[in-house]
Amino acid sequence: MIWNARRGGRRKIAVAAIATGVLLSVAACGGSDAPASGEGLPDEIKLVSVNPTTGVVAFAGASANKGYELAVKEINESDLLGGSKIKLEFKDTKSEPQTAASALTSAITDRDVAAVFGSVSSTEAVAMSPLAQKRGMPIIYTQAGSDGVVVGDYTYRATPLMSSYYPIISRFIKEQGYKSVGVMYTSVTPTLQEIGQKTYPQLAKELGFEITKSIATSATTQDFAAPISQLLASKPDVVATLQVGASNPTVMTQLRQAGYQGKVLGNSGASAGNLKPAGKAGDGMVWPVDFNYQQNAESSQKFVAAYRAEYGEVPLNYAAEAYDAAYFLARSMAAADSTDREAIKDAMKEEAAKTFDGALGKDLKWENGTLQVPGVMVEYTTEGEKLLYEGAGE
Amino acid sequence: MQDLLSVVTLGSIYLLFALGMSLTWGTIDILNFGHGAIFMFSSFTAYLVLQQTELGLPLIVLLGLVVGALMSLLIQVLAFEQIIKRAKDKRTAEMQILIGGIGVAIIPLAIAQHHTKSNPFGFSSSTFTVDTWTMGDLRITNIAALSIVVALVLWVAAAVWLRRSRQGLALRSIGVDAETAALMGIDRRKMALVTMAVSGGMAGLSGVLFTFGLGAITAESGDTLLVKAFACIILGGVGSMLGVAFGAFFLAAAETVVLTQTSGSWVEAVSFGLIFLVLLFRPSGVFGRADVRRT
Repeated sequence: MIWNARRGGRRKIAVAAIATGVLLSVAACGGSDAPASGEGLPDEIKLVSVNPTTGVVAFAGASANKGYELAVKEINESDLLGGSKIKLEFKDTKSEPQTAASALTSAITDRDVAAVFGSVSSTEAVAMSPLAQKRGMPIIYTQAGSDGVVVGDYTYRATPLMSSYYPIISRFIKEQGYKSVGVMYTSVTPTLQEIGQKTYPQLAKELGFEITKSIATSATTQDFAAPISQLLASKPDVVATLQVGASNPTVMTQLRQAGYQGKVLGNSGASAGNLKPAGKAGDGMVWPVDFNYQQNAESSQKFVAAYRAEYGEVPLNYAAEAYDAAYFLARSMAAADSTDREAIKDAMKEEAAKTFDGALGKDLKWENGTLQVPGVMVEYTTEGEKLLYEGAGE
Repeated sequence: MQDLLSVVTLGSIYLLFALGMSLTWGTIDILNFGHGAIFMFSSFTAYLVLQQTELGLPLIVLLGLVVGALMSLLIQVLAFEQIIKRAKDKRTAEMQILIGGIGVAIIPLAIAQHHTKSNPFGFSSSTFTVDTWTMGDLRITNIAALSIVVALVLWVAAAVWLRRSRQGLALRSIGVDAETAALMGIDRRKMALVTMAVSGGMAGLSGVLFTFGLGAITAESGDTLLVKAFACIILGGVGSMLGVAFGAFFLAAAETVVLTQTSGSWVEAVSFGLIFLVLLFRPSGVFGRADVRRT
């Protein structure tokens, strides 16, 4: 999941205020004249991706946009939309909630825009969702794992919540025979906080291991030497660290400097090349994630091959999620046979009731507007990410 | 004891970073909010160079110093001097410099964000190896030890230079009354350029050491430190060399204690709450002076 590091109560209030303000201004503008239902698909269907390609979460937004772009290219080359072509526009949120809300407002007031791909950032997404729901704009997010993102039948999230697949780490803990875990988590993000405060205690209960120490770090913690020292003093068999992307190389570096040489249980924030600056110190971090380019599903490998051919690199999970989001929307528009926003909303509801094979795996299903996947377990090495197992593996 | 060592290490980083800011703010009245960007961009430049060629610690440190000093000089000549020339009075100039610093900082930030896609960057391709020294139960890395030594040496050197040298006296006189100092023959522009270069060099140096110490930083890391350095200077008293050291180690101690003894979510609230309490009783900072406020 993606979160801006500097998040807090005041920011949430500011975001709510921005959303409310923009909402009122949009309401004052009057309704849009979306194409009427039942008229069939137009020759050109306009979609907008409102994602950060600059700023603190640019790495995820840029990757997601590649996934959207690839899917749109394939869809346009196929007959999925009966000859209609998607025109995808990109709006950079600059990792700012107010810019995201403003870009969405523009999309809402543009009668030609059929639907929107929402931001990977939770902070931005919670500013966008009330607008989209109120004004009837179909919107599909990737990442954006906090509450307040999926708020109604116009809003979907094509990324599973981390807490839904994180427990697949159980098998690794059992296989390694760990009897105790020291947990260090950031208090910045609700999702990682939940994994630290609830998921690990729950796993400890189920698997019978002890949590020797649980330490929360703050939004501005950059030097982890002191909490690591405390954590290691409790003598755990293994360390679990739940930090946002950029903090992971520092934590791994400082863990090794503190003399800890074992495996480290992490989270998907360590992916996307974030561990590279740690060099060899990054070796041995393992984490569950919703997608890895090595996973076996035929539909996943088809996506990986297409992505490699298009961009000459292996895809990240952000691109895979976006790819599935784009196909979900395209299938819904095809079923609606219309770019009317309400018709798309109704079609999305029906489409979400079905399972599908996509980049993220096989037989994927939606639950309360959020995609569910079994997840995979990976280990970081300087040579690349190693796929340990898929799903619970049992 | 290990926690105490962590406090000293963290405090040294804060001191090294805040020292340059304090120097320019306390003498030539420039509160440079671009200091964080200089810190980051010096390190970022070293990172880019390391992508092309292998370098050891001395050359990377030198690179950080030079890039930091040059950036600071450029900001002074292209932005702050222009603001001072055009401002109608001193107070307006101070406010515009503050805003100008924020504006200027956006450029290196945007370049680094664009290049790294906001991913962390570090010096893993350097030939320098960070080793850990063990003394009983205490562990310290060579880079942490170096950071402590460098911070303390520079702090003492800056304090002695300001107090004992003729140039330091001249600089302090500018801080007290720039117009009178000019009438006494002190070249304010030259002194300001030297001060900004020294300040920028310190920012560059701290950026490089910080990056080595943590393994990686991001384009935004300087912004986080900027707020903390600002707090250190205010707490210690603007213009006081002793004050900035006190502020740096006080903040490091408060953060470490709160982080290790309570929930991390309280770190900022408790640390800055303590600073607020101190300022209630000492509005000009612990070592600041209400009347003559320089060093």
